[in-house]
Amino acid sequence: MAITSIKNLKEFSTTNDRFEGSHLLCPGCAHSMIVRELMNSTDDNLVIASNTGCLEVSTAVYPYTSWDTSWIHIGFENAATAASCAEAMHKARKRKGTLKDNDAPVKFVAFGGDGSTYDIGFQWLSGAMERGHDFTYICLDNENYANTGGQRSSATPVGAHTTTAQAGSVSYGKKQKKKDMVAIMAAHGAPYVAQLAPNKWKSMAKGFQKALEIEGPCFINTVSACTTEWKFDPKDTIGITDLATDTLMFPIYEIINGHELNILYRPKNILKVEDYLGAQGRYRHLFKPENKHVIERIQKDIDEKWEFLQRREEARI
Amino acid sequence: MSTGVLGTDKRGIRELGAEEKVGWDEVSEGVVLNSFEGVAEDIAHKKAEERDYSDFNSYTATVASWRIIKPVYNRDICIDCQNCWVWCPDTSIISRDKQMLGIDYDHCKGCGVCVEVCPTNPKSLLMYSEAADNEEALAGWPQKEKKEKN
Repeated sequence: MAITSIKNLKEFSTTNDRFEGSHLLCPGCAHSMIVRELMNSTDDNLVIASNTGCLEVSTAVYPYTSWDTSWIHIGFENAATAASCAEAMHKARKRKGTLKDNDAPVKFVAFGGDGSTYDIGFQWLSGAMERGHDFTYICLDNENYANTGGQRSSATPVGAHTTTAQAGSVSYGKKQKKKDMVAIMAAHGAPYVAQLAPNKWKSMAKGFQKALEIEGPCFINTVSACTTEWKFDPKDTIGITDLATDTLMFPIYEIINGHELNILYRPKNILKVEDYLGAQGRYRHLFKPENKHVIERIQKDIDEKWEFLQRREEARI
Repeated sequence: MSTGVLGTDKRGIRELGAEEKVGWDEVSEGVVLNSFEGVAEDIAHKKAEERDYSDFNSYTATVASWRIIKPVYNRDICIDCQNCWVWCPDTSIISRDKQMLGIDYDHCKGCGVCVEVCPTNPKSLLMYSEAADNEEALAGWPQKEKKEKN
């Protein structure tokens, strides 16, 4: 059941952690903030599958596990497959009455990084969404393959420096646009799709509760600031995430039944994207005079996207 | 809070005793690492001190050796807003009954997020060198900063 005491932070702090410390994620990593916010918002039994990625390699280093729930890792691409198969088996055994406790609520959750969600596990995720299993897929989007040294993924935004899309005298970093995964998942007709951020803990917890409650495949994209590859000081993780949501680089919104769009956070003062870019080492080269057009392009993309989201919300179609 | 019973190595992972050591290639298929001793039920409603953690749970390990700076907590100024609790990436802020009790120095990696999100003036959490003494740090806590008029 969803934990009801998330009205304010004090009440939320009475929940018990099911994601333990002494995992090996970097100091200041947003992955564990997200996982804690999600897991503390429910007291259901969880069956969790993880794709290969930072979260998986850092939380299950033999002989340790940081998970107080059932947890499985198979391969780079198939957390969605593992979760959907576990869900199908659970359903079958429930029908046959062979479970130890037939009424115990069990929810199925899959975690993946952006590399395994946007690129490598895309086919498997799409398949699981299409088959309509009752599970929730959570993408921890740090916009590169951070676990293997910061290669470019299709979630990397325009202008970012990565080890395989380097900025220098002939290039300004990644030239291609970021894939709009939320729209793709909504196009699957999923009952609940959202983009959330850990600095807005309440919308995060509520979004996750909603995703667990709704029957059918749900997808949540979360922005996960990466101190190592975005190149900022570990203490600034929440500050950077605030900038990401206030510059609308990461708008926070949900799409219900593939068409009904709700914006969950409207910044009071919309900041210029320079504030967000300037705070990170991976965008440092954009402030050279010859790269000014890239910043302009990023700002234009953000403005267009925000306009699009607002109109979609208004139109209710 | 439990510390590693058998000592720590450089990565903060507790070493298993020689008789328990099993290489990763000796682990058979389908093996399960249990987070808890015996049958674990209703974990979501049990506080950490009520749980029976197994040696496989990373809760029983420590990453304290990662730290070069550490947060020090000043109870007198804290308003129990729980910002540090919700954003601590290492589950190292211990809160019970809506009150912050302190920092779990076994799991803290010294990232400093808790200090950044602390809203009080002066801050009720500050970073000090790992070698600093907590009592001394509390004695020399900074005074309230006056707001500068623009």
